[in-house]
Amino acid sequence: MALCPCGSEYDFENCCGPIIAGALAPTAEALVRSRYTAFVKHALDHVARTHAPEVRQDFNRAEAERMAAQCEWRGLEIRRATETGDTAEVEFVVRFRRERQDHASVTVSTFRRDQGQWLYVGTKEAPKGVPVRVTKIGPNDPCPCNSGKKAKKCCGTNPAVR
Amino acid sequence: MTEARHFHCTACGQCCYGLLPLTLKDALAHAARFPLAFLWTPAPPTSRHVALTAKLGTLLTLPNKTKLAVLIAPVAYLPASFPCPALRTDMLCAIHTDKPLRCKTMPFYPYRDERAQTEFLVPRPGWLCSTSQTSPLVYQNNQLVDRVDFDAERKELLDQAPVLRRYADYMVKHSPALLGTLMQVTNHPRAEHLVTSLSSFLTATRAPDTHAIARLQLPVLEHYAALTLKDPMLALFHQRYHDSAIEMAYLSNASGV
Repeated sequence: MALCPCGSEYDFENCCGPIIAGALAPTAEALVRSRYTAFVKHALDHVARTHAPEVRQDFNRAEAERMAAQCEWRGLEIRRATETGDTAEVEFVVRFRRERQDHASVTVSTFRRDQGQWLYVGTKEAPKGVPVRVTKIGPNDPCPCNSGKKAKKCCGTNPAVR
Repeated sequence: MTEARHFHCTACGQCCYGLLPLTLKDALAHAARFPLAFLWTPAPPTSRHVALTAKLGTLLTLPNKTKLAVLIAPVAYLPASFPCPALRTDMLCAIHTDKPLRCKTMPFYPYRDERAQTEFLVPRPGWLCSTSQTSPLVYQNNQLVDRVDFDAERKELLDQAPVLRRYADYMVKHSPALLGTLMQVTNHPRAEHLVTSLSSFLTATRAPDTHAIARLQLPVLEHYAALTLKDPMLALFHQRYHDSAIEMAYLSNASGV
């Protein structure tokens, strides 16, 4: 048994494992977690099939495969998950290391539930016009978690997987 | 009435270096020759190029609700120090009859109004273009004397604009962070340009010939990745060649793409 890469502190088999294998994600947050874990586990069919039908062909599989192969995944942080009936919005931070550089990407994605299945619909601008993607965090750069502190005094530039 | 301008190409080869904007058709037709990428260039909001840039490219709405005209150009993605792969050692073009429209129209530049072409008739430092009175008359009264190539390239740029707009909409929809990068590029003209990948374009436009294009691009990208491996000044170019090669390898092998 191993802890789930998504940081839930549950076992993989009781967390993202079944969802990646085809079980319904109970919440939009669970879907975000499973899609992150699918990158860690190189199981990108899960990411492809959880795009809403109208954006399914938008999935850049070649890029996703490259990222899955190149990146050392350092953790997922769910900042906010708001569900309103069959629609949802989730703000999350993905931390990863690539080519000896640490990156943190902050994303606000929208989701829809079709027949019990949560699906990715699109990505919104980060609140207040803050760039969604913060790359190459230096120790003195603002922390990508928007705390206003320097990264070295907050989440750090090289956070370990929780 | 403006002064008459003269110009004659001396085939010095100096303009055959570095990034080369291409029409979409030329980019794909030369996929076996040039490492391809997409360059996003905002028109400074106060410049005279806003209207034409919005027409040839797109008009994006930034997070602060202002509009930004951006040109999205397929490019032969080459460092400034790298010659065009079709430049021969005698400084002539190896593909003269099939050369891209961009090269045929030189020194003119249809990404700008016809009335604003004089700046392109001044040779850049090191270029050996002849602009003396004895050279042919090429521009007078704010008009080109021979406009065939200029018009052909401009027409192609106008015709392809809907496809590039569709690509821009796709990028903004799934990677809105790009708007923040474009704002930075606009406010700091010396900032690194925004470059996006061929794979994203092929995905966005559902290109039916993705598989064939990927097969043509892969060896080109591997070649340039190897050429730029050792030079730390070209690390970013190397990274992009390397990344794109991985993506093209995937698309080459993916069945029935």
